[in-house]
Amino acid sequence: MCACGSDHSSSTDQVKSFQSTYQPEESGEFVIVGATVLTGAGQEYELGEVWVSNNKIVQSGVNLSYPIGIKKIDAKGKWITPGIIDIHSHMGVYPSPSLRSNSDGNEAIDPVTPHVWAEHSVWTQDTQMPLALKGGITTFHVLPGSANLFGGRGVTLKNIWSRTVQGMKFPNAPYTLKMACGENPKRVYGRSSGPSTRMGNVAGYRKAWIQAQEYKDKENPVRDLKLETLSGVLEGKILVQNHCYRGEEMAIMIDVAKEFNYKVTAFHHAVEAYKIADILAENDVCAAMWADWWGFKHEAYDMIWENVAIVDQANNGKGCAIVHSDSSIGVQRLNQEAAKAMAAGNKAGFTISKARAIQWITKNPAKALGILEKVGTLETGKMADIVVWDQDPFSVYAKTEKVFIDGILHYDIENPSTPKPTDFELGLIKPEEDRM
Amino acid sequence: MKIFVCFILFSFSLFSVGENILLKNASIFLASQGDALVSSDILISNGLILKIEKEISTKVDKVIDLDGLLVTPGLIAPYSHLGILELEMVPETRDDSSSVYTAGLSISSSFNPLSTLIPNNRRGGITSALSVPSSSGLFAGLASAYSLSGSLHQSLISEDIALFGAISSGTDSRSAKTLMLEDSFDAASRIINLDDWESVSGLPKDFFLSKRDIKSLQRVLSKEIPLVIKADRASDILYLLKFSESLDIRLIIRGAAEGWMVAGDIAKLKVPVILEPINNLPSSFDELGARLDNASKLYESGVPIMIASHEHATHNLHLSRQGAGVAVSYGLPWQEALKAMTSNVADSFGLEKIGYIKEGYSADLVVWNKDPLELSAYPEHIFISGKLISGQSRSTRLRDRYLKIN
Repeated sequence: MCACGSDHSSSTDQVKSFQSTYQPEESGEFVIVGATVLTGAGQEYELGEVWVSNNKIVQSGVNLSYPIGIKKIDAKGKWITPGIIDIHSHMGVYPSPSLRSNSDGNEAIDPVTPHVWAEHSVWTQDTQMPLALKGGITTFHVLPGSANLFGGRGVTLKNIWSRTVQGMKFPNAPYTLKMACGENPKRVYGRSSGPSTRMGNVAGYRKAWIQAQEYKDKENPVRDLKLETLSGVLEGKILVQNHCYRGEEMAIMIDVAKEFNYKVTAFHHAVEAYKIADILAENDVCAAMWADWWGFKHEAYDMIWENVAIVDQANNGKGCAIVHSDSSIGVQRLNQEAAKAMAAGNKAGFTISKARAIQWITKNPAKALGILEKVGTLETGKMADIVVWDQDPFSVYAKTEKVFIDGILHYDIENPSTPKPTDFELGLIKPEEDRM
Repeated sequence: MKIFVCFILFSFSLFSVGENILLKNASIFLASQGDALVSSDILISNGLILKIEKEISTKVDKVIDLDGLLVTPGLIAPYSHLGILELEMVPETRDDSSSVYTAGLSISSSFNPLSTLIPNNRRGGITSALSVPSSSGLFAGLASAYSLSGSLHQSLISEDIALFGAISSGTDSRSAKTLMLEDSFDAASRIINLDDWESVSGLPKDFFLSKRDIKSLQRVLSKEIPLVIKADRASDILYLLKFSESLDIRLIIRGAAEGWMVAGDIAKLKVPVILEPINNLPSSFDELGARLDNASKLYESGVPIMIASHEHATHNLHLSRQGAGVAVSYGLPWQEALKAMTSNVADSFGLEKIGYIKEGYSADLVVWNKDPLELSAYPEHIFISGKLISGQSRSTRLRDRYLKIN
């Protein structure tokens, strides 16, 4: 999975540039006590504790044997979850404010642009980022838009203030490739170069994969940025994140992947995932979905509120459901989106616990980003990305009180100078004040 | 939930509007008379709320024991394109804008009571909505109010009840828009004979207002209908307040992202605002001051507030409840959040007989399984004009088809 291997293969390994420079300060040792803890690994502990040392989680559970005299943070009556992960974000590439001059998410000049990298567009001072932090987002995945069949590489970032993108990059997270099905590519190119149909879309993917196969098998190919990314997928080093709405299209894309021996890691938006939830589960493909968005286009017409739950429960609970935002409003409250999806599922007759539903915004997106070994749950050895909520995070009234990233407190409701405002917000409304 | 059927009935679909229904043991949010919940029975007859009393015992067609569940007035969406938009990106399913008419565009002949958006929004507790044209110019046109009954014959509540428009940044100076606003109303005020207005309008050459458009403006000038302008920047709001004061018209502001900065000014003129309280982003340079306590700050200053949905709003008008919940967690009293989706909308737009639970009012009622602002809340029963409405939608039919396959 690592993007910095040592063999001579033709994909990501050549790239020594753009590496993560993120290095958290030393967190010290502390334990948060007295809270209801949703671990993200499937447990819910009453009067639970989360013990942190050296930027990592030592342990979470009850009656932990941490040293006497350890710094204690009282969270009686509060709730704790892992840091929330948004697998579908355009923060930095479609920032707020939204201006033509900073709209940098779609290289809509050619349907095949796997050579562009979202991280080369990211504006680190996007005002959405600190607002998302207040919503508990500790990691987010920035994707190019969906105008193209191959939109380019996505990047996984830690939600910390930084002057550079490299300073936000999640260390050693695998790269991803954005692909898009359906209406968007054919709308953008239908009157010019094409594709103008869904079958044209599929022909476009296959043509590119054939070229990538040849490139991959060459001894010393002339370096080609497009094919470098695509062959990285074929080598299993770059994870495919595939924008796709309709059920039958997702099933086709699974077959395209089989034809060229790669894997679709996750379908994104997947409004009709419930129609093929068993197929997704059998093929170990995740679906990243909204709770209730629909109707903005024809391929989003068949939304059901139970979509997330049905994907989750497919094949006796073997499904991989993710709740994503794709939205500057949704990213601030993914817990609320998960809450709506859980409620709809339970009303339809499933039994979905909070301990399970929290995985839709923690463990499962971590899995689909190839970073589950590092984040996504409060298990031993993981990065100490922790959110303390004032109450049950599945309530509309819940707010975060503390957000730790690698054990460092980046948002504290008691500290009005957190989250750190972006450069854009300084003196923006009144010279002597920050925006918020 | 116990349902006693006293007289023999074959199915819900056979219920007529004239049916008598008794709701026992309701916790009622009246949307008036202070804020307390009242424990009471409600008698529905002929589509109206006939009686609200502690213990009603009378012969009726149907009794529903609510066992203390909360009953609110049906929610009213203050802003939507309901019935005039099916799929946002499919132009042939949209009737919400015109390049010919401006202020005079009335959408009432386009309204489709069979739109799939109607049952979907009903499932979220919305029982009526303003349907508003969405043209992006200075004047979008006239809104009408509809019930979400889905009835081909009886959906209209009130026709052409408000003139909607917008002033904001764009390619032309915003001053050009405000001058156009002034000039348009000036022309409308001077024209007595609509047949020869074109020669005397004094409007810029390429700014055309038809007779129909002028007529709408005159209705605003005579205070027959309010003027609803989308404006977010504090300085724009102040301009509009001054403008409405000088013309003595009924103004409503929509958006008002920076409303909190000038809340006292808005309150002084008792100008209502339509908010998306969940919007705290500086999405444009007009909304740099957007924040989550906008709703509570406006309320505290005495501004009547209405809460609208957000993001693909017309398809999910019921998400106004989520926005309201967020506003409550940032200081807006819970009761005020509910009023912002019921009585405040009825009052601001002069909608009669809806928005309150009152004797003599239309029996537009929603029975909730829990606090309606909560994310896991849903209606147990929905009544529109006294009729028990089915909770089915195209979406539930799809769900039921696929639930078993997986």
